[in-house]
Amino acid sequence: MHKTFYAFLLGCCLLYAPAAIAQKKYTISGTVKDVATGETLIGATVKLQELQQGGAATNAYGFFSLSAPVGDFTLVVTYVGYQTITQPIKLDKNVQVNILLTGGSSLKEISISGNRPKNENVENPQMGVTRFDMAQINNVPVIFGEKDVLKTIQLLPGVKSTGDGNTGFYVRGGGSDQNLILLDEAIVYNASHLFGFFSTFNSDAIKDVSLYKGGMPAQYGGRLSSVVDIKMLDGNDKEYTVQGGIGLIASRIKVEGPIVKNKGSFMFSVRRTYADLFLKLSPDSTTRGASIYFYDINAKANYHLDDKNTLYLSGYFGKDVLGLKDNFGTNWGNQTATLRLNHIFNSKLFLNTSFIYSDYNFVVQSFSPNNSFKVTSKIRDFNLKEDFEYFINNKNTLSFGINFTHHTISPGNVDIFGDANINTKSIQSRYGLENSAYISDDWHATNKLNFLYGLRLTAFSLLGPGTITTYDANDAAISSANYTSGQFVKNYLNPEPRISMSYILNEQSSVKASYNRNTQNIHLLSNSTASSPTDLYIMSSNNIKPGIADQAALGYFRNSKDNMYEFSTEIYYKWLQNQVDYKNGAQLLANQDVESQLVYGKGRAYGLEVFLKKKYGDFNGWIGYTLSKTENKFDAINNGNYFAATQDRIHDISAVGIYKWGKRWTLSGTFVYGTGNAVTYPHGKYIVGGLTTFYYPNRNADRLPPYSRLDLGATLEGKPHKRFHSSWTFGIFNAYNRKNPYTVSFENNPNDPTRTQAVETSLFGIVPSVTYNFTF
Amino acid sequence: MKISYKLAAILLIGVSIISCKKVIELNLGNTPPQLVIEGNLTDARGGAIVTISQSVAFDNTNTFPPVSGAIVKVIDYNGTAHNFTERTPGTYSSNFAGAYESSYTLQVQANGQTYTAVSTMPYYVNLDSLSVTEQGIAGKTTKTIAVYYQDPPNENNQYRLVMTVNGVEVNKIFTRNDQFSDGRAVQALLYEDDITLKTGDNVIVEMQCIDPTIYTYWNTLSKQQENGFNNSATPSNPPNNFTPNVLGYFSAHTSQRRSIIIP
Repeated sequence: MHKTFYAFLLGCCLLYAPAAIAQKKYTISGTVKDVATGETLIGATVKLQELQQGGAATNAYGFFSLSAPVGDFTLVVTYVGYQTITQPIKLDKNVQVNILLTGGSSLKEISISGNRPKNENVENPQMGVTRFDMAQINNVPVIFGEKDVLKTIQLLPGVKSTGDGNTGFYVRGGGSDQNLILLDEAIVYNASHLFGFFSTFNSDAIKDVSLYKGGMPAQYGGRLSSVVDIKMLDGNDKEYTVQGGIGLIASRIKVEGPIVKNKGSFMFSVRRTYADLFLKLSPDSTTRGASIYFYDINAKANYHLDDKNTLYLSGYFGKDVLGLKDNFGTNWGNQTATLRLNHIFNSKLFLNTSFIYSDYNFVVQSFSPNNSFKVTSKIRDFNLKEDFEYFINNKNTLSFGINFTHHTISPGNVDIFGDANINTKSIQSRYGLENSAYISDDWHATNKLNFLYGLRLTAFSLLGPGTITTYDANDAAISSANYTSGQFVKNYLNPEPRISMSYILNEQSSVKASYNRNTQNIHLLSNSTASSPTDLYIMSSNNIKPGIADQAALGYFRNSKDNMYEFSTEIYYKWLQNQVDYKNGAQLLANQDVESQLVYGKGRAYGLEVFLKKKYGDFNGWIGYTLSKTENKFDAINNGNYFAATQDRIHDISAVGIYKWGKRWTLSGTFVYGTGNAVTYPHGKYIVGGLTTFYYPNRNADRLPPYSRLDLGATLEGKPHKRFHSSWTFGIFNAYNRKNPYTVSFENNPNDPTRTQAVETSLFGIVPSVTYNFTF
Repeated sequence: MKISYKLAAILLIGVSIISCKKVIELNLGNTPPQLVIEGNLTDARGGAIVTISQSVAFDNTNTFPPVSGAIVKVIDYNGTAHNFTERTPGTYSSNFAGAYESSYTLQVQANGQTYTAVSTMPYYVNLDSLSVTEQGIAGKTTKTIAVYYQDPPNENNQYRLVMTVNGVEVNKIFTRNDQFSDGRAVQALLYEDDITLKTGDNVIVEMQCIDPTIYTYWNTLSKQQENGFNNSATPSNPPNNFTPNVLGYFSAHTSQRRSIIIP
């Protein structure tokens, strides 16, 4: 099996080599940057005006490459929010240019510049993708005024929130653990703070966010449903700046500046909540001793070694702390570190090498005088990636690479200190090796037909040491064996074909189709509706097969009014195999035999998404509608029939509007409406053990009432000042104070013990917020 | 390992600040009544009681119609059948006591079906003593009963505790196992918010040593009871030991009671 893998690897490197020799053109390549900060610009459009076809977009590092025959050309570089640059280019040899764009122009100014970016969304074969610029995210009102990437994503069709005010999300019916969330290429396992009310992404530190709902390019792998690719800012390499904000819940500060002017820069950003500082003022000693806070640190540095090499080092450290003094404490958090080297071999071949560390751990401690113990669980990855981009010619851009990841999951260690009435216990760690190779070609076949096609091959191996037990269909242990360190226990090899195509009907409209397969080897077992730090990760094993998702999608894309309006509609169907759930009554916590507690099934999700966006003008925004169905099937549940998944949402509407009012005010509003979650209500009651107990006939056969909410926001820019800039952001979450049901629970009527009642809990009513932001 | 309880308590405090509760009317329809068999067999005479009843619709009052005329017997490890007699409608009993580390099969013929369940009575673990402790959470001190016992080492033990206050059963299911406390002297705190303990209250705690299936049964029910902010995403009928499937359980367990007057 591994031979196949390495043969594929070799194939990746050799496949297109002869094609390169055949071309006799010159190449223009370079990097596009912001003139003021030196930040590289991702996805800027670069084009030679004289050429009918072709044109390139800068890659994740701002690099582009274009080929053309000898001649005089006009290079045109455009990027949303920046002034377009046109520059004459004489092409009689390979040329390298570095483009500096002047930015800071508001959305309004772009609308009158007349140099709009191309109809990229129409031509590009990629579908199911949305890229956000931070300016837009910053204007979307959110709860407590903490602007949040993950909450903004939830306003797109096909994406829904796991709960009121929650950052967890489901994409096209996939589970919340089926999203690949990357921060500078490092996997972030638990992307939420405080049980999901805040995401781990401090928007001050973020440069660019892309969401793939389908048609994932082959360089992404490891999760079934979506990719959220988040890139941190590199830091200003021209001058030192400080930016910060004081909010209701948290304050943040960011410092950036050159390490060596125009050669290297750093960015350091911190955010911390301070609700706990008010607890110290409480007259009650227990409350004073309580701690509840989280913080995030984002740090990044880059250094331009020479024209061909740039080194990047970035890290994220975040932690949640919750506890009562002398009673108990718990903390959890992610740490990621990414070391990258960009190497430009020549004007056509670009390589990024990344070494990535990612870690998520969770600790509970009890300090009771006669019961002191500590429970820790951890997941840790080491990852080496080699990603090549080969700009063969104006018709083909080849991406290929390899990726080696070593996973360690330590599900639970119980340590006692001092007196305790429990024992030290250690659940065996599990080790896995996830290796993949991919190749993908972005092919402009004709003027009308574009393809993005490729293959990803993922090999997963469960490694020793450990005692590995195999369970039969009735979850009885049938065999058990000891493995030594590094010994292969179980191997899986999965090819993942990916193909997307667009057929351009005319300059303003196109149809697209895609099919892609994704696999997943890290599974999450969660036994609660809220995102909980105690959620358990397990990897594919002799008992658990890799999850597989196949998705097919078809779409129609149309722009109008000179690309001011973007309209798109997509239909998708998704087949899910080897889905993991736990049995009724499963014991998940610190259980060595947790794999005996699982059931396996399949799922299907299908839907229609409609999206209309106004990109420019004083008023801009979007409206999205989704009609969808998501169902699961497990032999042991619901008599083996399909049942609605918790995330099944039939209708979903979200609308975002941003209005620039005068020179200083920006007003914004969002509205969401959706069918209520599928839930299981009792349809009867009975008595056991003297207690009234509820009878549940069918899984998820009932519905919470529909969800709807209106949020409003307003930003007031401070008076223009030479160096110092400030703004106020005001927000109202849930403006019409709707009591959206979070859960419905059932209990005995406290006033009439002969009766039972249903109690609806809603979380957030109307929540106003104010934030003060500054830059100098 | 009642950390989860404390975690939930903190969350509840946090959430109660922002959340809002209201009683709602739901049209939960009419499902046909379901048969419920509750079988208990203890190590003492008088503990062999099987109650058969039916479920009712959610909106009904909590009166559960008894099922009379069933044929109930328990077959012991020797193959001897002990027949049960219906004393009051729906309640069947027999005057025999179970033996430790022995398996028993309950057979019930009702509604034209025969239901069987097997349960094994574990070895007896002594309930050493009770005490009253003061537990403070978020500035509120509540009196909480602590149960002390010595868990036997190198074997799996499961317990169910039943607490009554002045003769009224506390509306909460308490379960324990020795996953983390094998062989330890255990102090088990019975956190509950159903009945607030006051000086002079007479509290009786029954400790049952139960088999693993019955532990899963009660533990699943108890987790569904703790619903609130962090409630189980999908509640279900707890798995039990009956074939064919029916609501209820059959538990062969030890039974020991101790009492304490709240000081």
